[in-house]
Amino acid sequence: MIMAAMLLVMMAIVVLTGIMGAMHPSSNVEVIDPTSLHLQGEFVESNLGTAVEPDGSVTVRIIAEQYEFVPHCVQVPVGTAVKFRLTSADVVHGFLLPDTNVNTMVVPGFVAEVRTRFAKEGEYAMPCHEFCGLGHHAMWAHVRVVPQERFANPTSVERIGCATQ
Amino acid sequence: MPVDESNQSTAHSPDHVDVPASSDQAVQALRNGPIGAYLVASIAVGLLFLGWLAFYFLLFMPRGSIG
Repeated sequence: MIMAAMLLVMMAIVVLTGIMGAMHPSSNVEVIDPTSLHLQGEFVESNLGTAVEPDGSVTVRIIAEQYEFVPHCVQVPVGTAVKFRLTSADVVHGFLLPDTNVNTMVVPGFVAEVRTRFAKEGEYAMPCHEFCGLGHHAMWAHVRVVPQERFANPTSVERIGCATQ
Repeated sequence: MPVDESNQSTAHSPDHVDVPASSDQAVQALRNGPIGAYLVASIAVGLLFLGWLAFYFLLFMPRGSIG
């Protein structure tokens, strides 16, 4: 009886917060042709990295491939809504951001979209956490969370890397 | 065949072995159940439940939605 009550409480919490606070896994489903990512569409090289939207939020586009993320490091402002859009050019990869709830698979043929907001500045590791081949263990990227005033207008170099001009 | 007394256990001696318990006595002994085991299991499950609540409300919820 007590066990059933505890299970009911846990399920009720998960369901209620899922409905009221949108606390659920990302449910975005978009298809994309993985064989032409570099030729056309959203994930061409010039469109990768960080982009500032008209509403002030930030969109980061990343391609996962054996065995790296492109770009390898991205900069985003602290305390700002950040949307990550990822896709894979070859096999299934994983995408994880420590200190956030971001944790998704990156499947070829689909666009994975996750949103978060970084509360603290710093450098966060973005490891691939889905075994993707012999070089999987070395597949790391980084996101550098910088103050908002330092992110006012990222240059083309800053969009696809963490170097500053 | 002679029996070597020094090689026998005390279970061999009626003086050291209790009479078999009757079914009534067994029922009597088990009537209240294994209270201690229930207590330990309850504490363990309770701590697990509290841990789940703590992780959910203190770690998972503040990190916000990703959808």
